[in-house]
Amino acid sequence: MSKPLATTAESSGVALDKKTLKGLMRRSDRPGLRYLGFWALFLAAGGGGLALSLGTWLAVPATVLYGAVLTVPAYSLSHECAHGTAFRSRWLNELVFWVTSLIYLEPPHFRRYAHARHHTYTWMRGLDAQMPFNTPLSLKGWLLEVSGIGQYLYDAKHMVRNAFGRFDPDTVDFTPASELPKLTWEARAFLAIYLGGAAAAVATGAVWVLTFLAIPRLAGGVAMQLFTVIQHAEMEENSPDLRRSTRSFTTNGFARFLYADMLHHIEHHLYPTVPFHALDKLNAAIRDQLPAPDRGLFRTNFEVLAAVLRRSLRRGDAVLGGS
Amino acid sequence: MSDWHRVCGADEIDEEDVMRFDHGERTFAVYNTGGGFFATDGLCTHEDAHLADGLVIDDVIECPLHQGRFHIPSGAAKSAPVCVDLKTYPVKVEGGDVFIQIPAAG
Repeated sequence: MSKPLATTAESSGVALDKKTLKGLMRRSDRPGLRYLGFWALFLAAGGGGLALSLGTWLAVPATVLYGAVLTVPAYSLSHECAHGTAFRSRWLNELVFWVTSLIYLEPPHFRRYAHARHHTYTWMRGLDAQMPFNTPLSLKGWLLEVSGIGQYLYDAKHMVRNAFGRFDPDTVDFTPASELPKLTWEARAFLAIYLGGAAAAVATGAVWVLTFLAIPRLAGGVAMQLFTVIQHAEMEENSPDLRRSTRSFTTNGFARFLYADMLHHIEHHLYPTVPFHALDKLNAAIRDQLPAPDRGLFRTNFEVLAAVLRRSLRRGDAVLGGS
Repeated sequence: MSDWHRVCGADEIDEEDVMRFDHGERTFAVYNTGGGFFATDGLCTHEDAHLADGLVIDDVIECPLHQGRFHIPSGAAKSAPVCVDLKTYPVKVEGGDVFIQIPAAG
């Protein structure tokens, strides 16, 4: 059976004149460097707050807040760099891609190929390489995703398989054969860094690795998933129209920073060559062709959860059935 | 055997821009990098997206679908997800017009 056409602006019936699009696609190092600067400031403030709160109950909210500041921008930058749109300078893009992918927990080359397939066949069952759960989504599947456990299992499995050169069929399908050896060496490099770092931390008693990296990454993973789960969950599957398969939403300024404006997610899928710092302008240029964004990060997550619960209860599958 | 075919007026492609050119059943991308005019196959070698919808950055074309990059003058694949080079074609500018030399198919 032949594969469907790629999910694009054209397949979605959205148009934008070439001159405007060319202006929006323009690259610059400055917005990405500014983002890195603010990220460093927030990390310093969050890390300082966490350090001061250690030993008190305030360490719990401080870990959550610092974890969100550590994890969500790492995801956002890793994603933007996977597209090559974060910076004009390619070396800077690739350097930041590697560092943020280490925090995100997914090797960059694998991420780039899997994400390319996600854009080619967005939310098409059996074709989208980043459709992370069985659909329709069950409560168990929702819990696995929002907790981050789904991502940890997915990335651990692929990292180990790729490190041993035992690629799963999806990986072989979305990665050109000549590029598979790169997936192996980067998976080995990632595993060596994680395992070597953990061993060194244990050997030297470096508790800070646990306090300022591992635990905040796990706590921040939940915050990250609140952004990413609603990108497509409970949207129409197998549609050529990205406006039906993808969700944009509104949120506050701090959350927009953490997510690097990717709340304009339909816009991003329509024109993935447009960098994060031009998504607001892209939205203004095509707003009349788009559905209204959903309102609020938490409200949208509650609506998705409510839909999952309603369906699970109606099906009577003990709500925790399936994955 | 190869023939020269008129693509457009040289002033119809802005600097750091690209234009689509179809000939028979074949499709090409013709570039003005600022350093000269060049032509390659029109479709990305990774998946079927037309490079004329992409972004020209200096002497690099970036695919609009997955942002793979090619060196325009040589057609060389420069960054993932592209890994197969583009074919390139001779281009000349005469009398203010851009021409591409297309070898006979087959």
